[in-house]
Amino acid sequence: MAIRELKVCLLGDTGVGKSSIVCRFVQDHFDHNISPTIGASFLTKTVPFGHELHKFLIWDTAGQERFHSLAPMYYRGSAAAVIVYDITKLDSFQTLKKWVKELKEHGPEDIVVAIAGNKNDLGDIREVPMKEAKEFAESIAAIFIETSARNAVNVEELFQKISKQIPPLQNPEVESNDSFKLTQQPPPSTRRCC
Amino acid sequence: MASSSPFPMRPMDRSGSFFKLIDAFASEIGELKQEMVQTPSAAEDKQPVVFQGLEGEVSRLYLQSRHCCRAGGERDSGYDSLGRRMSVLDRLTRTHTVWLLLALGEEEARRVLLRQPPGVFMVRRSATLQRKVLSVRLDDDGSAPCIGDFPVKESQYTFSLEDSWISFADLFRLVAFYCISRDILPFTLKLPDAIASAKTQKELEEVAHLGAGFWDSALSRQRPCSPSRPLSRTLSPQRSDSRQPRESRGAQGGDRGRQAGCGNVSAPPTLRAHPSGSSLRPERSQSGGALCFVNPLFLQAHHHRQGESLTASSRSRDAKAPGALPSSRRAPLTSATRIQDVEHCTSKVAANGKSCLTPPPRPPPPRFMPSRRPAPPPPSPAVPPLSPAAPRPPSMGAKSSSPAKNATAPIAVPSNPPPPRPSKKPDLEAHRCHIALDDETIAKAISRAKLAPCQPAGSFPANVPMEEGAGGPPSPAGTNRRGQQCFSDMSMSTSSSDSLDYSRSPGFSLGLPPTPARRPGTHRDPTEDSSEEEEEEEEEEEEEEEEDYGVGLENDLENGLRRPFSTRRRKVGVRLSRGSFILPRALKGKFRRMSGVLGSLVTPERRAIKKIAELSREKGSYFGSLVQDYIGFVQENRNCHTTATDFLQTIRQFMTQMKAYLRQSSELDPPLESLIPEDEIDHVLEKAMHKCVLKPLKGVLEVALHDFQVSSGAWRQLKENLALAKAKRPLELGVDGVVPPDPVAIEKIRHKFLNMRKMYSPEKKVSLLLRVCKLIYTIMQDNSGRMYGADDFLPMLTYVLAQCDLPQLDAEIQYMMELLDPSLLHGEEGYYLTSAYGAMSLIKNFQEEQAARVLSSETRNTLHQWHRRRTAQRAAPSVDDFQNYLRVALQEVDSGCTAKTLLIQPYSTTEEVCSLCAYKFRIADPENYALFLLTGDTSQQLAPDTHPQLIKTEIHSRPRAQAFHFTYRRVVANLNLHNANCPSG
Repeated sequence: MAIRELKVCLLGDTGVGKSSIVCRFVQDHFDHNISPTIGASFLTKTVPFGHELHKFLIWDTAGQERFHSLAPMYYRGSAAAVIVYDITKLDSFQTLKKWVKELKEHGPEDIVVAIAGNKNDLGDIREVPMKEAKEFAESIAAIFIETSARNAVNVEELFQKISKQIPPLQNPEVESNDSFKLTQQPPPSTRRCC
Repeated sequence: MASSSPFPMRPMDRSGSFFKLIDAFASEIGELKQEMVQTPSAAEDKQPVVFQGLEGEVSRLYLQSRHCCRAGGERDSGYDSLGRRMSVLDRLTRTHTVWLLLALGEEEARRVLLRQPPGVFMVRRSATLQRKVLSVRLDDDGSAPCIGDFPVKESQYTFSLEDSWISFADLFRLVAFYCISRDILPFTLKLPDAIASAKTQKELEEVAHLGAGFWDSALSRQRPCSPSRPLSRTLSPQRSDSRQPRESRGAQGGDRGRQAGCGNVSAPPTLRAHPSGSSLRPERSQSGGALCFVNPLFLQAHHHRQGESLTASSRSRDAKAPGALPSSRRAPLTSATRIQDVEHCTSKVAANGKSCLTPPPRPPPPRFMPSRRPAPPPPSPAVPPLSPAAPRPPSMGAKSSSPAKNATAPIAVPSNPPPPRPSKKPDLEAHRCHIALDDETIAKAISRAKLAPCQPAGSFPANVPMEEGAGGPPSPAGTNRRGQQCFSDMSMSTSSSDSLDYSRSPGFSLGLPPTPARRPGTHRDPTEDSSEEEEEEEEEEEEEEEEDYGVGLENDLENGLRRPFSTRRRKVGVRLSRGSFILPRALKGKFRRMSGVLGSLVTPERRAIKKIAELSREKGSYFGSLVQDYIGFVQENRNCHTTATDFLQTIRQFMTQMKAYLRQSSELDPPLESLIPEDEIDHVLEKAMHKCVLKPLKGVLEVALHDFQVSSGAWRQLKENLALAKAKRPLELGVDGVVPPDPVAIEKIRHKFLNMRKMYSPEKKVSLLLRVCKLIYTIMQDNSGRMYGADDFLPMLTYVLAQCDLPQLDAEIQYMMELLDPSLLHGEEGYYLTSAYGAMSLIKNFQEEQAARVLSSETRNTLHQWHRRRTAQRAAPSVDDFQNYLRVALQEVDSGCTAKTLLIQPYSTTEEVCSLCAYKFRIADPENYALFLLTGDTSQQLAPDTHPQLIKTEIHSRPRAQAFHFTYRRVVANLNLHNANCPSG
């Protein structure tokens, strides 16, 4: 089976559980064959999908505002972006919308966007209604799922959904209609002669 | 059969079995080597032999010389004639153009091989299997196909035949081995006669020159059958030397044997080596003649299924009508013929370089027998060296006991030298290693074995006899030679040849001793380096690689050594029997330090890199001239770049182009595919580029990067902001709820960064960065026990970088980002490099950030550009992209466009290009013409002193290369350029 490396970028406010989701994803069914990474900011996991193996290279980003400006370096070249918010914090959902906007403007074309409402085990203090989030996701043709990293709910499903949206390798020209397209204006390249 | 042993019988400790296996390998390879070398090396014979058993072993290895030299009475080391005596490996290597035909199709291979006698072979790439195959001409008998394709398995760093347990460092060694030992093949390989019988390098060159055409040439059909002219005389003009009479005698003997009945010739030379023969004869009779030489390993395998072997061997014997096979590929013989012909055979081996055609017949069962693969055959009482406790032949790996298809696990070759002291006795079961059966590796074991006869059991330093010649051998003039002979005959067989670096320079193949012998003055004490820190070692390693090849052995050893020792922490703790041989004390230390070498398996890669590096220094080669010209140009013209990024990207582009060139060019000889498994090639090329290009340029680059920083004001800004950031508390940099590293840890990290600056390889720099990051994680986790994501890590990294107070780090990061192999940028290296760059950017803009909390637009742009470059889908460079070609269009008012691809050196000026164009396009008035660059809708006349090739490179290296053309046209003419439809440049 061909291994396909997929860079996945994690975006979202600090404290929403970005790295918890990924740690859960990577640690469950830990694959002893892969060489461990040095830390939890960058993790990899390989999962079979169809006739391929999808190796997720997961780039975590710092959610604090002061690091926001570095995000482009992290999401560039990503096949997918997972934007995480905390269902108990409305602010984090507002931040998510900003990320969607930024990705649309500066992110790679064809990037698969997944919206993950984390901490759904804390439903009783929910601030973001599931319906609202789901509708927003549909409006931008993004994957939507509510997860609980703590209880390991929907974590694998999240990545399975991403796998499904990745266009198959054999015919890369095939457009996946579901995925949310973000276009990027290529900046005019400067020409120079020595 | 159990009564006598050719091996030393010594008390064995519990690891003895393992060591015996090593001995087995040692003897096996020794034999292989000997036969490949055919060097009369009688040193051992002359020396007092310390261990009786060993004598049997060693003398067997040197049997040819016994024949030659005993008769002569005087020991002729064969040193003078070494040049003419080429090993099989040598022959194969020099003539790879003949048999290594990767592009050859199946049909063509079939056509060629069918005309050849059985055993003749080639290596090609099978389109159906998508891998290399060894195509061998098989016997015609039966309904079996006449050509057999044996897939070559390439695992990391090793080559092996599928289903075989034996792995090799490269294809040449693999093929050479199968010329000697059939292993899983139906019989051993046979070199075409013209190659096998060539006496001089020149002859081989002639053959090699024919390439694939050899097979259709008359040479390929030549057969050595005349007793007086057993060899292809046409190819051997220089034959009148002092040794000839003896050789001829030998050759004739050999031929007589062959003519008397082909079967006879196949008597293994090894038989003769045992005049006592006690261990062999019973062996033979028992095995129905299948076993003709002592090879403990194979003996065991044989005994394991004696019945099978018997059947198989008798079958093959039947198949072998006299004369059917030109040479002795068949093992089975009747004992009568065997004994008769031993002498012929031996002499023939010594004389005519056909040893490969006289392989020691092997009795291993045919490959279709599954029972072959289960590694451990039962111990054979007839083979004392393999005690019943040693039933673990080929693979010592944990998986070895399983018969599963596990061919990736290379054979464990415990070829490191014996442990010096009992106290060092390792837990062998716990320290297993997977080691390729590289003959070099094994040769080390041999060289160890040979130490004993060479040096009386005393423990004087090994280098004494070799360096000083004071060991007191009888022939004073020959001391040095003798030392070399003792240690290096087998593996250094190819040292006589000049063509191949890898066979000549890494004395590594020998184990330690030979180097001092060859270059006494350069001998270095390895202990000097033992206490170095990891980073320094790495840098040292890089430095050492460049040193004089005379110390290559030492280097290789140290390099190989230190890595495992520092990073692998003795995972490979295999040791040899301390009991079997006595080692000079001085060697013990070295050997102990060597124990990691075997596991590291870095040699093929190193070898390849070294070869490329050598080629890059040869101005006579095309590659070398490109690299040297480029380096010279960069050194002189670094001001031609406006930014550091631009500068670095041009270099990166050059390296990428050179990699593509090396992949396609035939300048590398032997081709890389024969040395390195295919999926490793890119990585090896990348490393080689670092060495060829970045290493010489490191100093210039450093200065240039710094100058750019200073001139742009970035340096001052960085220093100011760094000072500011350093004064901040962790919380102010975003570190929240995590205890930061203490000053000691910061100092340690700082030290690592300082070491990073010494390296030229971006890859090594990055690996050091990863170590720093890991250290930061460790500190964070130690203080809390939880896993930290980027929310915590990035602020901490920023804090640590600020505390380190190293403004130089900025240029380091830039260096890595621009020069690192782009394929690494999506992985962990890329992630932490991105993080370090981001953290550094934040620090650089600390004031601004404090004020506005926004990153400067400048930085954003840089990030943006960087990424664009990285992700831009650029087609692999084509030949036209290489620096030597330039496509120029002639644009005439009336006749439109004509384009030509011109050969333009990288640093040709526009003026030169113009005059070439004038010539090529037959322009009558060149003074009215000029070269223009068309990009998009702009047209720009190029000044006479500019370099079109560099302009092309520059445009190519842009993130989004625009279409551009070079046109040669009238200056005055008012052409409508933009509508002209010209071919692309």
